[in-house]
Amino acid sequence: MSTSAALNRRFDKLKALEESGKLKSRGSGRAFRKLLSNRLAVLGLVMFTIILLASVFAPLIAEHDPLRVDLRSRLLPPSAEHWFGTDMTGRDVFARVLYGGRISILVGLGSALLAAVVGVGIGCYTGYKGGWIDTVALRTSEIFMSFPQLILVLMLVAIVGQSLVNLILIFVVTGWGPMYRMARARMLSIREEEFVQALESFGVGSIRIAYKHMLPNALGPIMVNITLTTAMFILAEAGLSFLGLGVPLQIPTWGNILNAAQDLRILQNYWWIWLPVGLVISSFVLAVNFIGDGLRDSTDPTMQG
Amino acid sequence: MLTYTLRRIMILIPMLLVISFLVYLGLELTPGDAVEYMIPPDVANTLSREALDELREALGLNKSFLERYWIWLTNVLQGNFGHSTSGGVPISQIFLDRLPATIELSILALFFSTVIGCTLGTISALRRGSASDSLLTVAGMLGVSIPEFFFGLVAILTFALNLAWLPVGGRLLPGYETLWDRLPNLILPALVLSLMMTAGVMRYSRAAMLDALSREYIRTARAKGLPEWRVNFVHGFRTALTPVIVLIGFRLPTLIGGSVIIEQVFQWPGVGNEFVTAVRSQDYPLVMMIALFSVLAMLLASLIIDILTALIDPRVRLE
Repeated sequence: MSTSAALNRRFDKLKALEESGKLKSRGSGRAFRKLLSNRLAVLGLVMFTIILLASVFAPLIAEHDPLRVDLRSRLLPPSAEHWFGTDMTGRDVFARVLYGGRISILVGLGSALLAAVVGVGIGCYTGYKGGWIDTVALRTSEIFMSFPQLILVLMLVAIVGQSLVNLILIFVVTGWGPMYRMARARMLSIREEEFVQALESFGVGSIRIAYKHMLPNALGPIMVNITLTTAMFILAEAGLSFLGLGVPLQIPTWGNILNAAQDLRILQNYWWIWLPVGLVISSFVLAVNFIGDGLRDSTDPTMQG
Repeated sequence: MLTYTLRRIMILIPMLLVISFLVYLGLELTPGDAVEYMIPPDVANTLSREALDELREALGLNKSFLERYWIWLTNVLQGNFGHSTSGGVPISQIFLDRLPATIELSILALFFSTVIGCTLGTISALRRGSASDSLLTVAGMLGVSIPEFFFGLVAILTFALNLAWLPVGGRLLPGYETLWDRLPNLILPALVLSLMMTAGVMRYSRAAMLDALSREYIRTARAKGLPEWRVNFVHGFRTALTPVIVLIGFRLPTLIGGSVIIEQVFQWPGVGNEFVTAVRSQDYPLVMMIALFSVLAMLLASLIIDILTALIDPRVRLE
């Protein structure tokens, strides 16, 4: 008697917890705790946050205007006044690196998020529905992905011209393919689960099944993909701007600052113009890769334990 | 095996048709008169307006869009790619001049990344959990995080400007014509270009090797008393090779894309360098043609990879 009463109380407690939604958050909480126990991922998170905050609060940290040309103080080495020295036109390099981070991170993160919206948006529905719509989407992605990415990006730059918005759009057009493939592959396996059959037999609409019930089950790999794509786009922006074909040169970005190093004279004699910003890009991308790897380890069920 | 190969080739053809159609569409939509790239621009400039109109008629440029596409496609298939609008040179001539440099660079980079990547990955897997394993893992992370061109700049500064061991860039100097003479110029760009791919191959071959070594047949091989090196390399490495080859196929676009930037850093006179110049000067015929050929190269490479994997792993053929 007393044992069953105690059991009943315990079940009531569990039921109350479940109804108040506290049990539900356990899953993501565990993934997050697991992420925090990964030393490299924590290091990545710290580096990421520092660089992100420094860029967001650039006006508070940098004392100089990143665009102000001062021909009397050209090519000054690092000092207390100019932490990273000044460039060929006397602009403060430290301020340019901070302000440049804003645009570079915006391009990287923004394009990755938009590419995820497009890729996952298409892959989720067509992967669940199957049939001709799936075939069309698959073939389209194959065509996009058969171009080497940088070649397609540069081809589109030549056609639509250089601007910040164009660059983000071009990145989305060239980067949705892998995201779509991943989402579709996940949907193909989730489609076979019993809860999907149950929902279908209740007559729930296919859009609702795909986006509301199936998509949340694929969030882990999607998050991993978004982080790794962010890293890729930041590198791509830097490379394109280095060539002078990315963001227009008058806007400071990490790649545009490095553009000056194409000149061998600057490369050899004025290291402060290109070395710090190169290290900042590398550490930021490294941080994002650490986070992505940590996320993969903490969300992928095959990696548990 | 033959049917498998033929079937793979048959899939490529509709793909290439669609892509060539898209490229032609891009060519039609971008500014510029088709006559300007179908005949040498210096000839076009000497012609009168009436003569140009006649020429347009003769070249079939007044026909419908699909007919124009067909004419263009047959021209391309016969090796007549049109003319660069900025330089006035036939595009086929540009390919002949620039392609050897790019092929030389990419093959050497591919060689470096495969050999170095597989070796380091295997070492890492065989000494799992050791200090050298963690060191290599972190190095691999760094390899995919440092922008290639930044690595290139540091390499130029260190090995070319400060130590003066290797030249800063360029390819053909007068009097230096064999591959051996060019090797000093080639080595730095090829190493830099291979960096990112090496890191990827290393990571992947480590995982593939670990997977292979945990299989039952490895235990059987040990149990029957085979020497350790034979177990690792004959039984383990061969199985690990398949996923690595597939990865190399997947990463080829990074190599082709990377060569565009690296050729610029090292002033290497290859197709990638020409492509950047063409994009800068909005030389659309040249841009489109290089893009079309990079797709062709990719598709051919993936075909070769598929055939290679089918040769190594017989299960693939039956798919």
